[in-house]
Amino acid sequence: MLNETQPAVPSIRNKPSLVVLLVALIAVLILSLSIGPIQIAPREVVDLLFKLLLGSSSASEPTALILFQIRLPRVLAGAVVGASLSSAGVAFQGIFRNSMADPYVIGVSSGAALGAALSIVLGAGFGVPGLGDIPLLAFLGALLTVSIVYNVARVGSRVPATALLLSGIAFSIFLSAVVALLEIFAGTELHTLVFWLMGGFSYVEWRDVFVVGALASVSIVVIYLYARDLNIFQLGEEEAQHLGVETEKTKKILIVAGSLATASAVSVSGIIGFVGLIIPHITRLVVGPDHRILIPASMLAGAIFMMLCDALGRTVLAPLDLPVGIVTALSGGPFFIYLLRKKKGAYEM
Amino acid sequence: MILEDVELRVNPGEAVGILGPNGAGKTTLLRAISKALKPKLGVVLLDGRDIYSMSEKELAREMAVVPQTPSAIPNFTVLEIVLMGRNPFLRRLELEDKRDLAIAREAMELTGTWTLAERSFTELSGGERQKVTIARALAQEPRVLLLDEPTLHLDVSSQIDIMDLVRKLCDQKRLAVLSVFHDFNLAARYCDKIILMNSGRVLSAGRPQDTLTTENLSKTFGVQVSVRRHPVTGLLYAVPLSTSKPSITQVKGDIHVICGGGTGAEVMRRLVESGWRVSTGVLNILDSDFESAEALKVQVISEAPFSSISEEASNENRKSIAKTGVVVVTDFPVGYGNLKNLEAADYALEIGKPTILIKGSMIGERDFTKGEGTAYHERLLAQGATVAENVDEALTLVERYAKQPGTKRIV
Repeated sequence: MLNETQPAVPSIRNKPSLVVLLVALIAVLILSLSIGPIQIAPREVVDLLFKLLLGSSSASEPTALILFQIRLPRVLAGAVVGASLSSAGVAFQGIFRNSMADPYVIGVSSGAALGAALSIVLGAGFGVPGLGDIPLLAFLGALLTVSIVYNVARVGSRVPATALLLSGIAFSIFLSAVVALLEIFAGTELHTLVFWLMGGFSYVEWRDVFVVGALASVSIVVIYLYARDLNIFQLGEEEAQHLGVETEKTKKILIVAGSLATASAVSVSGIIGFVGLIIPHITRLVVGPDHRILIPASMLAGAIFMMLCDALGRTVLAPLDLPVGIVTALSGGPFFIYLLRKKKGAYEM
Repeated sequence: MILEDVELRVNPGEAVGILGPNGAGKTTLLRAISKALKPKLGVVLLDGRDIYSMSEKELAREMAVVPQTPSAIPNFTVLEIVLMGRNPFLRRLELEDKRDLAIAREAMELTGTWTLAERSFTELSGGERQKVTIARALAQEPRVLLLDEPTLHLDVSSQIDIMDLVRKLCDQKRLAVLSVFHDFNLAARYCDKIILMNSGRVLSAGRPQDTLTTENLSKTFGVQVSVRRHPVTGLLYAVPLSTSKPSITQVKGDIHVICGGGTGAEVMRRLVESGWRVSTGVLNILDSDFESAEALKVQVISEAPFSSISEEASNENRKSIAKTGVVVVTDFPVGYGNLKNLEAADYALEIGKPTILIKGSMIGERDFTKGEGTAYHERLLAQGATVAENVDEALTLVERYAKQPGTKRIV
């Protein structure tokens, strides 16, 4: 309740949750690293990590090898991809002022799928040289598709949100059909393509981690710079404009940043659904709608969630590697329904 | 919606109101000025600077807009919403500081919303939301305030609250205020200048007393109005009359009303609305019944202000009575100046016109002629005038006459 003295300057609410998430992130990281066909005790994991950081690692030791060459890149990739997809999800939900929006809504996933399909079928399948680099082609496919979707929806220098959504849907449907066509011609490579499409971290290398990590960092920082604009944007574009938000510029920058983060994530992990849509929602229910805390919280929550799902996928049907996309949907769905029922009031307008 | 040839200027400390029917282009004009719509031709200048040469943030530091229906976003508190008004002054990663909070608080205290600070914006009523939105606009410390029908969702006391506040800010902080109104009385009360619009054009612009005339309002809104100055507040107010005007072919007959001092307005209006062709006389030019008659386009036999009824006017009155079907005499105050009106009623009875006397207040109370008026009154009764208790009864009697014209006494 307010009394005679002013309330403290309302700095961002719920900041302690970030600390909690950070601690959870580290815990889950260590846990994920210790899980696998060869169990490595968490304490040993921490030990080895410190040695790596201090530069005094005995890299040839089998445990260290497993950790650094196989598990660490995979787990880190999971964290980075989870963070990217969630942050992009927040950005897109903010721009479209629609909580049904996810990072794939303007064509990133279908574009990446097409790139990957071309790479797999034409490159590996038909031996066309240079097309074998799946992540690269997926990345290019994603970005090309987004720019086409964007330009189709553009009216002069403005991009109406609805037009963008419709353009994205149209292209997604079309490109998915093309991918399905390619599946028919995939022949022996069909298995590879299908598994790639389902999403997973089995073939991740360090190169992938660094590239995605770099791109994701830049994108997330950019998105965070527009956090307050995103808050005000929720009032509607006209009202936001009257409060000093450059709406067209904000939309463009966030679309580019979000697409970049998503495209880089998808090129490495395939199409993992659910994370970009639901993590922002769950985080919003817990920390509130202020993007200045929603963005970092979603980023951390996404990373945690992805690492957990990947760890689960590795162990549940061991030695089989369950595609992460299946795990995220199966586990996230029911949890979100539970949260939704608990906090129905949050959706009252 | 196309706007043509619109030119307008708002000065600091001035409140300008835009009025017009739906679809007139009022909101379009406001949006063109607020930079929400770009004009194909024309320019909007703020202190001589083209608003398109300013960034959104720069403009938002000078101009604030209060929309018709404020958007509601869930889970933001009222204080957080008002603090959004400080956005034009904050750099990208900068947080709001004590000064921002103080400005927001002042804005909220001025609008009476400080006590709502911790409440969720979506919990508030329409009126409270409107006040909070105005607080947010004030937090921008603007020099220009644009409002789109700011009192649309407010109850009467809130309407007055808000408009008093806007007026006060306009005066004290020398704001230039431009507001779209749906209520011409509110606009007349609070604005220094009024702009009347219709079909994308400006019909009239100027001070309220110059623009809010019966003629202008009829042309703008397509409704007959009566514009008066309220005797107590001295403010202009306009009252719409019925929009359904009977065509000539439906005229039921002629009625002559003898009235004065405001007693005739209701009778004349209702007779006109029912399809009668009404004439009236004799009325002094400053009499409120004279104004009513003019507004109703009723034929009036008039006399100069403060003058007794002349022989001339009286003769004209008699001529009118001779041509009419029924004469209705209201309970008007009788003085030496208009005694001749009772004489005219007497004449009416003499020539056989059915005459209805509306009783209303007792003749004794309104006779200022030391008995002459009362004497006339009794004579009228003796001569066969029909008495109606009030206006309703009088109208019933008139309608009965319509069914059996030509009778002297109406039963």
